Order: sequence, then C-alpha cells, then structure tokens
Amino acid sequence: MGKPKIASDWMCGCAGCHMSLLDMDERILKVVELADLRSTPITDMKEPDASGVDVGVLEGAINNTANEEVAHKFRQRSKILVALGDCAVFGGVPAMRNFCGVKEALQRAYVDAESNEPGSQIPNDPELATMTKTRAIQEVVPVDYNVPGCPPDADVIFYVLSELAQGRKPVLKNELLHWH
Amino acid sequence: MVQLTINGKQIEAAEGTTVLSAAKQAGIEIPTLCAHKELTPFGGCRLCIVDVQGFRVPIASCTLPVSNGMVVNTETEAIQKSRKFILSMLFSERNHFCPFCQVSGGDCELQNAAYAEDMTHWPMQPGWNKYPVDSSHPYYVLDNNRCILCRRCVRACGELVGNFTLTMAERGASTLVVADTNVPLGESTCIKCGTCVQVCPTGALIDRTSAYQGHDLMMSEIKSVCIGCSVGCGIKMIVHDNRIVRIEGDWDAPVNRGVLCEHGRYDPMNEKRNRITSPMLRKDGKLTPVSWDEALSVVADKLKPLAGKEHDGLAALASTRLPVEALAMFKELFADGFKSGMVTSTEEGMTTASVNAVAEKAGAFEGKLDVLKNADVVLCIGANVAKSHMVAGFMIKRALPKGMRLVNIDPEASELDDLADVSLTPKTGSDLALVEALQAVIVKEGLGRAPLSIQNADGLIEAGVNASGVDAETLSRVARLLANAVSPVILYGKGVTAQRDEKLVEALLDLAKLTGAVDAERFGLLSVKGEANSVAAAQFNLDKQFVLNGQQAVYALIGDDFVSRRLAERLSKAPYLVVQATYASLVTEKADVVLPAALWSEQAGHYVNMDGRIQTAEKAINAPDGVRESTTVLAEVAMRMNMPIKQDWNTSLRTRKASVTLA
Repeated sequence: MGKPKIASDWMCGCAGCHMSLLDMDERILKVVELADLRSTPITDMKEPDASGVDVGVLEGAINNTANEEVAHKFRQRSKILVALGDCAVFGGVPAMRNFCGVKEALQRAYVDAESNEPGSQIPNDPELATMTKTRAIQEVVPVDYNVPGCPPDADVIFYVLSELAQGRKPVLKNELLHWH
Repeated sequence: MVQLTINGKQIEAAEGTTVLSAAKQAGIEIPTLCAHKELTPFGGCRLCIVDVQGFRVPIASCTLPVSNGMVVNTETEAIQKSRKFILSMLFSERNHFCPFCQVSGGDCELQNAAYAEDMTHWPMQPGWNKYPVDSSHPYYVLDNNRCILCRRCVRACGELVGNFTLTMAERGASTLVVADTNVPLGESTCIKCGTCVQVCPTGALIDRTSAYQGHDLMMSEIKSVCIGCSVGCGIKMIVHDNRIVRIEGDWDAPVNRGVLCEHGRYDPMNEKRNRITSPMLRKDGKLTPVSWDEALSVVADKLKPLAGKEHDGLAALASTRLPVEALAMFKELFADGFKSGMVTSTEEGMTTASVNAVAEKAGAFEGKLDVLKNADVVLCIGANVAKSHMVAGFMIKRALPKGMRLVNIDPEASELDDLADVSLTPKTGSDLALVEALQAVIVKEGLGRAPLSIQNADGLIEAGVNASGVDAETLSRVARLLANAVSPVILYGKGVTAQRDEKLVEALLDLAKLTGAVDAERFGLLSVKGEANSVAAAQFNLDKQFVLNGQQAVYALIGDDFVSRRLAERLSKAPYLVVQATYASLVTEKADVVLPAALWSEQAGHYVNMDGRIQTAEKAINAPDGVRESTTVLAEVAMRMNMPIKQDWNTSLRTRKASVTLA
C-alpha cells in the first residue's frame, strides 16, 4: 500500500487553521514523509482526486451553496473526514450571523456600513453562491473527527495528521483539547 | 455520622451532608456548575448527577443528603453519557461560542467541564435566539446570551450580600437574569459589590476593567487583606506585569468568606489621584523635585532642634490606613523619641478613644463579627454599616430574611432604616439617656439577665423619652425585644464613639450584660471602628484630637489615605509641614517638604481589624522608581535623628489594654 492520501480545503473561515498547519514548521516534512499531500488551497491541485483520498480535512463553516458542494464532495471522496477548527466544528465566528439572519447581515455589510460608498448594493450576480444559515460541517455531512481550536495549535494538527497517516485514531484530550 | 459507599469507597459523613460534598471530602470530584461552597444547594444545572443504587434515574448529588447504606457511583458509563448530554443541552441553549468570550481558555467553568468530558464538539447546534445584554453598569456587563441559568449570581446577591437585586424573569428557555423588576442593572438597587461577577461560572457576568486583559492562568494571584475599612476582608489580587488587574474576595478568608464590597473590589482599580513620585522641597514658594538625600537632610535639620519639646516642638499625624509596622515606628520615633505631646492619627481616636477608655477598666469587652451569624436580634446604634462597613452590613442584611430582627438607632437616616423592624431616630446627643432608659425598662419589667442596680427607673425612662423624642411605647418595645432575644448583639459605631463619651460606651456594655448580649461566654457587643488600622493606632495611643497649639512643625504621614478638607485646613496652619504621601492632595499643596510614599499594595504589612484579628497584607506590585515604603523612610529619618528604633511592633501593640482580643 502506498502512502495515505490527504486533501484539504477551506470554506467559510479565515484560513487561520491552514496557517496554523504551516506553524508546525519542519514537522511538515514528517507529514509529507508519512502522507501524500494532494489538493490543498495552497497547492496546485484544487480538489481531491476523483478516485478518493484517505483523509479529507476541511476548515471553516458552511454558509453558502458553494461550501455545501465542497463539503459533499469531500465527504464522497474521503474515507475519513476531519473538521478542522472552531468554524468547522461549531460554526465559530461566522455563525454569529445566524443571530441576525442572512438578510440583515448582508444589508449591514454591503449597504449600511459607514465605510460603504453611497448607493452600494448587495452583490446579486447570478453566478454567486447563495448564502445560507451558517452551519458546522457535521450539520451538513457526517464528520469522523472534530478538531476544535481557533485555530487548533500546530501541535494538535500535527498529532491528528500523523496519527491518521499512520492508521491510528487520534484522541483529543487534556493538553490537546482546546476550543479557544 | 452516616456510612455510605461512593465509587466503592467506604465514606463517613455528617448527617445532612449532601452526596456532592461528602464525595468532595473523600477526594472524589463530581463536576458541577451551579453548586458553590458558600451558597445553598440549588440543583439547577444537573451536571452533578450520580447513580444511586435503588434509584430509578440518575439524581443530582448537590441536593441529595447522604443516608446510611447509600451506594453511589459517579463514573458509570451511563452517568458519563448523561453528563455529556447535559453539557450538550447547555451549549445548545444560548450563545456559547468560545473564541470571542472573555472567560474562554481556562477561566470558564462550562468550557472546563466540557474539556473534562473530552468533548470535541457540540452534538446539538444552538437555537440562535438572541437574549438581552445589559451594559448599563459601571463595573460589569450582564450578557444573558452566555448565561446557563445556574442562579449562582441570584443566590449570591441574596444569600451572601442580602441585597436581592438580581432575580430571574420569564420562564423556561426564555428565562433571564434581571435586576429588580427588569430595570437596567446600572439603574437598579445594585450596590456594586461585584459578588455576582465573582461567582459566575461563565462569561455571563464579566468585569469591565479586567475583561480581555488575558487569562487568569497567565497572571499571578496574591492573597492579601483589603484596607478599605476595619472589617479587614481577605482578598485575592490578580496581578499581571506589575499591575493589579482585578481584586476578588478570598473564599477562604475567615472574616468575609469571599464577599467584598464596592470599595474593596473596585476603588483601588479606579484610583484617579495624581501620584507623587519624587521628593519635593518648597523652593522660592514652589515645590521642586529634589533627591531623597537632599529632602531627608532638610527634614533632619529642621526637626532636630524640635526633639524633646513636648508642646512647642513637633506635632505628628499618621494615617490609620498604614500597616502596623509603620504606625509602630511612627509612634516610637515621634512619641517616644521626640517626646512630642501631639502624636496622633488621622482618625484622632474618633472610633476608638472612648472604647479604649472602657477597656482600660473592663479589659477586652468586645466581640467579633462572627457573633452576627447566630444573632436573633441586632441593635445597631450610631453605626451605618450598610454604608461605612459594607461587608458587616451584608452580614446583617443577609440574616434578616432568616428571621433576624433589627433595631436601628441613628439620628441620621440610613439604608438600615428601611430594613429594620424598629428604627429610632433620636435627637442628636441623646444616646446616653436613651440607652439608660432601655436599661430602666428591662430592670423595671424584671427582664434582665444580669443584675444592674437602677434607682428611679421611671425617672430614667422619662428622661430618655424627653431627651430623645422617642415615645415611651416604642422604647419599651425595643427594650423587650432585646431582653427577650436568645442571642442579641449590639453593634455600635462612629455615631456613638465620636461623642468621645466613655459613659455612653459603659452604658452600652451594661445594656449588653443586661440583655445577655455579653456574658461569661458570649461577646455580643462590638464597635465597628473606622479605617483598616484603627485598632492598631489606638493601641499605639494615636488617638488624640489633633490640635495645633504652638508647635513649630508638623510631620504628616498620610500614605495613600484621603484627607478630609477639615484636616487639610488644620494642617495648612502648620508653620512648617512635612508630608509623606502617595498622592497629591490639598495637604501636599501646602507642604514644605513632600516625601513620596508607597501604596498599600506596594508594601507588605500587618493590619488589625475591628475583631482584633492581626492579618497580613502582602506586597502585590512594585512601587514606581523613587517611591519608598513608609517604614524605610521613617527608619531613615530616625537614623538621621540618631534615634534608633526597635521595631518590635508586636510587643508594643499589646502594651495597652485593647477592647478586643488581639490575635
């Protein structure tokens, strides 16, 4: 058997979890040694192999139809799906929008905000994905491992990836368990 | 004692103990959110559920009393599963998103409970309902979105503080913590003690000053004593980077058991006065910064010729907020060394002189605040403790709903009037006649618990009625209430002691004996004293009225105290004024020499509270460069005077008979 394949993507998040992934410094070489890094937002390949990967890692919450597609695609193509970070696990900061609803949030952001030009409008290009309620990944597709943290520490990410790459089940507890 | 088994361990617990505390005593931790050791069990959060053999369902251990032969299991698979489910439900109720919460990352009991159960996610998503946020209060923010409805704040407000401001409104998932009849907290009956914030397990009540300044895990915690007044509450100072971030009540402190008042918790955080950081000399009419050496030489040169002159030399005045060490040195240097006849304190014995005069004859006759715990009738006379000694006020206020009867006697209106069963507002200066009339009623009606010889009881009653303006019937009612009490307590304050009338204190002692407030075993009479070290100052005889009459210079050791306008006026008449102070004030403005003094939190020292309890205030932060501790400066002055100081405060504290037992 070859090296396990890992793919990742980010949805409604801040990319901070992927930054934290890079914070593992030279240990990323160890991950590359153990696993075959496939599609990620920071590599050329943009989606997981159609033939499937062993581990899919998703950062960010799901707050529009495009994210839903990504989540479903990852679920279909990954043997193990990991929700990385508070947005992916709980909904996180983007989920604050749920307390006022999509309409009010868009109105505030694109029209009412003091920094907007007069006459600004909510973007309505038909090609744009449709905004939805913000959800944790587990509300849209089943998740195998939730890795909370805002962002999860590099140590936590390294632990989870190296365990999965070696065919073990990561268990987050004590020092490794932080929601932030 | 009751025998039971918890997790297979044989445990003995006193009858009436809850399973939760029995387990804790045996070293078995059961997680809980609503339980608190100083509050009555409530059973609100359900996190402490346990499995009890023979019970059909899991049961909350915080409200379950132990019983003989009970077999309890706290860690069965079913219990662990239920616990996670309970936490999931709590998280799903409101906005418990952690990343932007002030208490996340170690200070949140809800988050910690989830970590303890290894929860990596919420099985149920929140309901996205919005709840009100109340930020109308100067010191804290009430965010109902973070609330788990454990009611710790509501219980603390009522049970510990006796203020009953916080309460619950609405029902079920809509339940809210509100103030009074749902008015903004900042406009409510809140007395700003902050106890609710201290007990809140989540971020529902957060402290404005310390919010978002870092996790408590990053800070150091220094246990100390509040020096806001003579109650002497135990505090914890949360310190970071040489700065006090927050002050909390110390749950283990014997005096206050965790509660604090506004002054103790927030005053030190809101200090607005200007700090003095360099010694200053008046040169050409203007205060000019100079070196310590220059300032101290000038002080020494000026003071040297004044030594040994009792009346026309030096007068000296020290704040009663200073540690015992400083007061002892001050007394030794100026009273014993200089032999000055005018060495006193900023309080001028207003709260202690007459009390000490009685103690000279009667020995230690006053009790401790603890007696309030079991009191059934309390007579408060000239003591507006709800304002001047707030935590002592809490002790009374919280006992009232449990049936304590309160009689308040004060010519001035006070918060206690509204709470008292009987409130008397006698004419000013009629206290002695009033107290004698109370004695007379008790003796006349044969209700006395101790002998007291009284001639002409009727005459005394009439005199009391005439002098005070209190009608005879009310007077008799109060006398009977006191005489029929099982464990009465008489609490007197500045209204009494400021009269400097030894006879009045003696009369109160007689009344206390007559009513059984004071007998061989019980000391149910106590005065609230004044500032943090009133008692110590009195023990060092620093209790004269400050009168300038021919003295050539004044040494005023103000420390970080506030100076009254009256005192400042008297000090400004000094021909030459040396002031040792932390902050610029009306007094430093008039001074010829200003020496900077360390703040209470910048020096360690002892304080004797109104109970006679000798407590240690710890140094929490370093003083700014150029500022020295009061004792260091006094030692330096003494050295330049060639007046060695022994610094044996513990012995000199006890040379004078005290009104309370010093320990």
